[in-house]
Amino acid sequence: MTLAIVLVIAAALSLVVILWAAVSRSLQVSKHAGLASQIQPLDVEAFRNLADPAEDDYLRRRLPASEFRRVRRARLRALAAYVQMVGRNAAVLVRIGQDALASSDPATAEAAAQLVNQALLLRHHAALALVRIYGAMAWPNSNLPAAPLLDGYRQLSVAAMLLGRLQNPAAPVRISVW
Amino acid sequence: MGMFQPHSLLWHYLWVAPNLLLAVLGAVLWRRGLHKRLRVFLIYAWFEAVQWAVLYSIDLVASIPAVDFWRVYWSSVLLESMILFFLISEIFADVFGSYAALARSGRVLIRWGGALLLIMATVVAAYAPIDNRVWLVSASHILQEAMYVVVSGLILMLFAAAAYFRLTWKHATFGIALGLGISACIHLATWAVMANSQLSNSGRALLDLLNMATFHVAVLIWFYYLLVPQKVATKIAVSLPENNLAVWNRELERLLQQ
Repeated sequence: MTLAIVLVIAAALSLVVILWAAVSRSLQVSKHAGLASQIQPLDVEAFRNLADPAEDDYLRRRLPASEFRRVRRARLRALAAYVQMVGRNAAVLVRIGQDALASSDPATAEAAAQLVNQALLLRHHAALALVRIYGAMAWPNSNLPAAPLLDGYRQLSVAAMLLGRLQNPAAPVRISVW
Repeated sequence: MGMFQPHSLLWHYLWVAPNLLLAVLGAVLWRRGLHKRLRVFLIYAWFEAVQWAVLYSIDLVASIPAVDFWRVYWSSVLLESMILFFLISEIFADVFGSYAALARSGRVLIRWGGALLLIMATVVAAYAPIDNRVWLVSASHILQEAMYVVVSGLILMLFAAAAYFRLTWKHATFGIALGLGISACIHLATWAVMANSQLSNSGRALLDLLNMATFHVAVLIWFYYLLVPQKVATKIAVSLPENNLAVWNRELERLLQQ
């Protein structure tokens, strides 16, 4: 009977998730107007500093082990906040790109497809990076290569700029602070 | 005889109507030339209709022993689980296949997720008791329970992944997945109770009716999403924002001061 209770609870939770997904899909249309304002500019230099293994090596050499672990965890928490922001920006750009996919201008549609793919890839990498960051919080001495995420964000920024220029040639568009 | 008993008017309606409707839906989709795009769903729809026609007939003919009903039922559930797996694979391919960046992830998700759920289903089935005089009855309940562990798990993964990546669904694909998901979750709960507890006959009859009613709702959802044309939402291309110059300047100053 315990197994039955566990399965009934799991089924109920799954049903809630599926119904929530259905409702949020139907509400998506009305939220499109505020999409652009949801993008948050990212301080890439600070991000790069937090993810730089050389900085970690320097701190490791200069600080006592216990102090280093404390500082590393604080840096990892900050890095996690940046990665979450990268993921959120990528999610917004997926939707902006999807809206532009139906454009009658082939160049805009092509740029939109490129933006969507790069944003999806980046969101995927951001999720994996977050798992690794939380893992590194448990073992602060482990290495954490974040270069793919930075490169991905740079490429996404370029794709967003391209789409932005095609949609509105007069307006400069950037989603990061280099 | 109460309305919630086997062979009541409600019981007949709930067993007959959704399956007939599903057969009609299949025929309409075929006539509209949608059989190429929704091939596996069409196979599923007609399989369900044939399964119902055979089982319903066996149930009504008093001379056919009950054990034969359960034999046919058990075999048909096995076949149904295979068709469902192909249908869900097709939905995964449809949702993830449009995005080059995620096509591989979609395949990995269904393979590894499917394998993990299959292991879970095996463990769940191994713990379920075989307490019926006719072992086929218990085996059928356990098979249904195991099947819905996999089906509801896969559909849940599909919805969760699509929501996380903000993927756009095709109208028809979304409807098929939604109907399957609702039906699979309710069926998982009812079959888990039926396979793992000593229920009275009236309790089993109630859960049977709940299953049939849920399937009816799923068929109506499929009717709506597959036959009612999608409202064309005017998509306004959202322009990307100009960067906040104040933030740029502040960051530039900060960098120069370093």
